[in-house]
Amino acid sequence: MPKCIIDGREVEFTPGQNLIEVAKSAGIDIPLFCYHPGLSVVAQCRMCAVEIEKMPKLQTACSTMATEGMVVKTKSEKTKENQESVMEFLLANHPLDCPVCDKSGECDLQDNSYKHGSSYSRYTEERRTYLDLDMGPVIKKNMNRCIHCTRCIRFGNEIAGLREMVALKRGNNTEITTIDGRPLETDYAGNYSDICPTGSLTLKDFRFKKRAWYLTKVPTICEGCSKGCNMEIQQDNDQIYRCVPRENLEINRHWLCDEGRFNFHYVEREDRLVDPARAKSSGIEICDWGTSIDAAKATLEGQRVAILLGSDLTQEEASSVLQFKAQHYADSPIFHFGTPGIVSSKDDGPEDRILKQKSKTSNLNGMEKLGIPGFERLPAEITAALVIRGGRAVLPPEIDGIEKVGIGVFMKDQAMMFSAILPGLSFAEKDGTILNYEGRAQKLKRAVQAPGQSKSLSEILMIWTNRKNSHGVA
Amino acid sequence: MSETLFAQYFNEESRPLDFYLKKMGGYTASKKALSMNQDDIIGEMKKSNMRGRGGAGFPTGMKWGFIPKQSAKAKYLVCNADESEPGTFKDRDIMRYTPHLLIEGMVIGAYAIGANHGYIYIRGEYTREAKLLDQAIQEAYDAGCLGKNIHGTGFSFDLTVHRGAGAYICGEETGLLNSLEGKRGEPRVKPPFPAQAGAFGGPTIVNNVETLAAVPYIINRGGEWFSNLGKLEKSGGTRLFCVSGHVKKPGVYELPAGSVTLRQLIYDHCHGILGDKKLKAVIPGGSSAPVLTADEIDVVADIEPLMKIGTMLGSAAIVVVSEDYCVVKLLARITRFYAHESCGQCTPCREGCKWMEDIIERIEHGHGREEDLAMLLDISNNIAGKTLCALGDAAAGPVMSFVKKFRADFEAHIRGGKCPSA
Repeated sequence: MPKCIIDGREVEFTPGQNLIEVAKSAGIDIPLFCYHPGLSVVAQCRMCAVEIEKMPKLQTACSTMATEGMVVKTKSEKTKENQESVMEFLLANHPLDCPVCDKSGECDLQDNSYKHGSSYSRYTEERRTYLDLDMGPVIKKNMNRCIHCTRCIRFGNEIAGLREMVALKRGNNTEITTIDGRPLETDYAGNYSDICPTGSLTLKDFRFKKRAWYLTKVPTICEGCSKGCNMEIQQDNDQIYRCVPRENLEINRHWLCDEGRFNFHYVEREDRLVDPARAKSSGIEICDWGTSIDAAKATLEGQRVAILLGSDLTQEEASSVLQFKAQHYADSPIFHFGTPGIVSSKDDGPEDRILKQKSKTSNLNGMEKLGIPGFERLPAEITAALVIRGGRAVLPPEIDGIEKVGIGVFMKDQAMMFSAILPGLSFAEKDGTILNYEGRAQKLKRAVQAPGQSKSLSEILMIWTNRKNSHGVA
Repeated sequence: MSETLFAQYFNEESRPLDFYLKKMGGYTASKKALSMNQDDIIGEMKKSNMRGRGGAGFPTGMKWGFIPKQSAKAKYLVCNADESEPGTFKDRDIMRYTPHLLIEGMVIGAYAIGANHGYIYIRGEYTREAKLLDQAIQEAYDAGCLGKNIHGTGFSFDLTVHRGAGAYICGEETGLLNSLEGKRGEPRVKPPFPAQAGAFGGPTIVNNVETLAAVPYIINRGGEWFSNLGKLEKSGGTRLFCVSGHVKKPGVYELPAGSVTLRQLIYDHCHGILGDKKLKAVIPGGSSAPVLTADEIDVVADIEPLMKIGTMLGSAAIVVVSEDYCVVKLLARITRFYAHESCGQCTPCREGCKWMEDIIERIEHGHGREEDLAMLLDISNNIAGKTLCALGDAAAGPVMSFVKKFRADFEAHIRGGKCPSA
């Protein structure tokens, strides 16, 4: 591999790599604002300019490809002077409202200001201000904080495939906005907030909810569809505040769709049933685990039972159900269900040109690997069903008319149709493996504690197995 | 006066094709060139020591040589007729009076680089010239000098006039290409240079009007002849100087390159300063060139000599300022121009130009502070050489040179709290 020298160290590189990436591979961070590995290079912010031997002017590291023997200085006097000057220029018109800004604590402008800026400002002229229009339900805009990096414009053009963010006017008055101030149209709008290096584009959903530095970040996988986008759940005190994409260049690159990003809200819905319950003539009644399991067993007793498994469950959960079935319901048919109209992975496929898959559950592929067939219709002889699911698989309407027991995540209105409910865990509350649309195995990681009395599926099945029924038989 | 390539034809009669064909040997050069080997044409251009007349002074032959011979994408020749540098008005005369020189030059250039389509990107304010160019292009099409199968040689070249909308930055070649493609007029990151990926992604050469209009002469009379017209080693041909400001006879002057000093231009050719006042300052290469004081004008007005004393020839637009004009006001006007014309893409230019404008306007109106001058020098130094395109340097150069060379005038404004001449 060819080598160049960065800050006196010999660093190997792949031809075509820019200096930012080459330096990063050697653990050297070059400060930057406009460069983003997933977007085109514009070299506008000038923050990443570095000194290169034999070149009279500083060169922007984002737009300069490493060459054999190139000698780069990222911490020379000239480089530092430029970084200080770019910081001064960027902060000249910045409101410095970090104390009330949601980006504070995870803001590139703030971080670089601490590292490379001055705590004193020479700027005494009148500051530039803008009026902001509403940008729709996802993003809150604050143009005064903008540093004109144009990442959002490029994201719209290059990734979302929509020319919705544009630069208006010119020079010092340049305004980054939507065409005619329209609301954003893309269903990937949350990414605008992720890539914004300041607090100019923030998530309405997250705004004023939590300071970034209080958040615990748990790497996991999105369960919104079969794509398996890598993401992070960010929580504090067992409350999820937001989900953000995690880089995986082979799957979601740097992005996440809004559906996946905001999917977590059901986990914390107030009407989620987190206690065991059984049906009463007046509705459902919260009870203890023993009572609800007895009710469940009684419901299925003597019936011809079908087991319906949500394809939002993990491989481990599905395997434990298969064992459970062999022990208790060996003759029962078992099916997986998840998305209306999607019976097998043959029905799955890209839903758009970016990330989304048609299957709106995460583990369709895994269910097939375990040999579980997709649900199409109830076999004629079936009189009752054991329905086990996470929080996303859509209940098939065919089961309306029969007796049912539910294990997993249900909202109260869904629970009304079951004779007994044994509350389980959502994707955010458990560890496990899921197989995405291409068969890649990835790990869910528990981010928050199980709410209320809800338990893991294996524990529920164990209680079920060990609890002696009214005839004294396990 | 010696023979001129352009100036002697700067009148209404020379415009029609008929005059061009009969009196100027029109379209003989393109006939000759289209039978030549393309490398030989580029060789002739190299020999001519023609250095681009737009401002940067890059050797034209070398630029043409950068075009790849083979290209999957169509190649383009683009004429930069944006002429946006304040003080420059020479290309207007060429387009107005000798449009066919430009058209023929473009046919030859296109043939040399292998382009079948060319554009003349003309300044939006030049409405009359755009019309005249369209007429001349039509004449050339009708006469078989342009279009399909030119002169029966099998070479085809189409030429389109594209009007700009009045942005200074669209005179920067990559900003021009973006504008030509219908995008925002913002300069592009280089590399890739236009010769690799220019208009619509194809290899593109962008040349100034005066550069291209000289090409027929170079082909007809040879690169060596053209080179010998110039009096300096590395600068061939004649130059069109645009002299404006406080001189008695402003206008376009064509003189052999490297043959005159600024003093000769101002006092001999332009008959001195208006009202026989004293000279205060000279901007030698369009408003972006660092300013010279009255004692610095015994310098040959060409690329190297001016570079040696820290300024530039640029587009050879010489702005002359007499003693009773306030240089602070002048710098305020220049800086306001660059702040207004900054595209806003890159940080130092977007933020710095406006900051400098604000400070200088404060000083001009008597609200300056002692520390302002040091700060101005610092800001301009933080812009110069650190921006995406040359506009940053264009804005910083005047500020640095005015503050350094006319410091007393600035201090008088700051201390007196008003303009001393007001």
